[in-house]
Amino acid sequence: MLKIAAYHSPTTLDEAAALLAEEGRTIIAGGTDLLVNPRYMVGVREVVDNRRLGLNYIFEEEGWLHIGAGATMRSVARHRQVQALANGILARGAAVCGSPNIRNMATLAGNVASASPSADTPPSLIALNAQVVLVGVQGERSVPLDSFFVGPAKSVRERELIRELRLPLAENDVRGGFYKIGRTAEDISMVNAATTLSIQEGVIIKARLVLGAVAPIPLRVVPAEEALLSQPATEETFQRIAEIVRNEVRPISDQRASADYRRRMSGVAAVRALRQAAGLAPHGEEWRHA
Amino acid sequence: MERNGDMPELDITLKVNGRTVKWRVQPGDTLLEALHAHHLKGTKLICGTGDCCGCGVILNGNSINSCCMLAAQADGGDLLTIEGLLQEGKLHPIQEAFAQEGAAQCGYCTPGFIMRTYAFLQEHPHPTEEDVRAALAGNICRCTGYVKPIAAVLRAAEAMQL
Repeated sequence: MLKIAAYHSPTTLDEAAALLAEEGRTIIAGGTDLLVNPRYMVGVREVVDNRRLGLNYIFEEEGWLHIGAGATMRSVARHRQVQALANGILARGAAVCGSPNIRNMATLAGNVASASPSADTPPSLIALNAQVVLVGVQGERSVPLDSFFVGPAKSVRERELIRELRLPLAENDVRGGFYKIGRTAEDISMVNAATTLSIQEGVIIKARLVLGAVAPIPLRVVPAEEALLSQPATEETFQRIAEIVRNEVRPISDQRASADYRRRMSGVAAVRALRQAAGLAPHGEEWRHA
Repeated sequence: MERNGDMPELDITLKVNGRTVKWRVQPGDTLLEALHAHHLKGTKLICGTGDCCGCGVILNGNSINSCCMLAAQADGGDLLTIEGLLQEGKLHPIQEAFAQEGAAQCGYCTPGFIMRTYAFLQEHPHPTEEDVRAALAGNICRCTGYVKPIAAVLRAAEAMQL
């Protein structure tokens, strides 16, 4: 039994925000991080469930794809529109997160809230220029995901809950790539990479490249993005980018992989993701088994 | 189970194996602990961290791990556990197939495998071997080497179509 003194199940966002305003309380969604990793329970005495807040949605409105904080990894992975977005890089990230049972419980928003550097979906979300919508007693605010993470298990989220993640659709008329290197089918990433490219007549005019599990936060490799601009979308270009990526990452050694291995693999993952975005390699459809 | 007198208990109502029950649980009880406290001990605790799927049950049609969910979160839900698979005193075809293929050795992970298989076959009644391998990717077994459980799932799929 976990040391939890009270369980709250609010039915409105106002109620949830008011409950969270008090110290010692945290939000619980799927529970698959919170209940098994003591790091997330430090100082927590009471939990506030988000299940009855009606956030279990994915829909498009006014140029944005809205993914509610209750949407499970499985529902994200299987959603047609998510699969269609930038070669489905977000659906693919969600589809390789944990095991089938975990994907039935864990939420996309929870993967963001946990702020694990090795999480499977934040690189795709950042590559898609996602925003995270936070709700607290002061009201609602929207934060670009690439300025959300601060460090391992740390983000700019104060005493707030995530209402939804939103993806701009117009900006994402791009091609994407995603590559995860993991030990087993269900393990979290040793290294992962997500990218989105706009290519006109063979030349890259817009680029985002984000690496996971190689820095204290999901790492947007800005020098690599800049180096991609105005370059031909070719293997040669991507090999040069791999070099930049290897120099930019700040990996650690842990039970999954050594820092040296992660550094080498960061270049490999980046190139493989870039190849997919350039149409030089097929992109996977991992969601088929989600 | 350690009980802390300061903690307020709460009442949840849910359907368990077709029967509506009212359970008194503590806020920190996992669903798995609540099952065990109410004499449903077929669902096993193995890793306790969501990594092995040994505690698999089916909640509202989805296979989940009962070790990393609070019992309170199952309030109002429809739960199926390994105990609910018997049909008129007879083993379910999935259980039958696991027995026939020798897919259980020590047997501890077997309820998790069977519940995962149940949820999977509801959605994919005609799976390929590749589908089965992907579906069982999270279920960890240290005895069988997985070959026999995969054969059992394929056998069960066939049996359930008859």
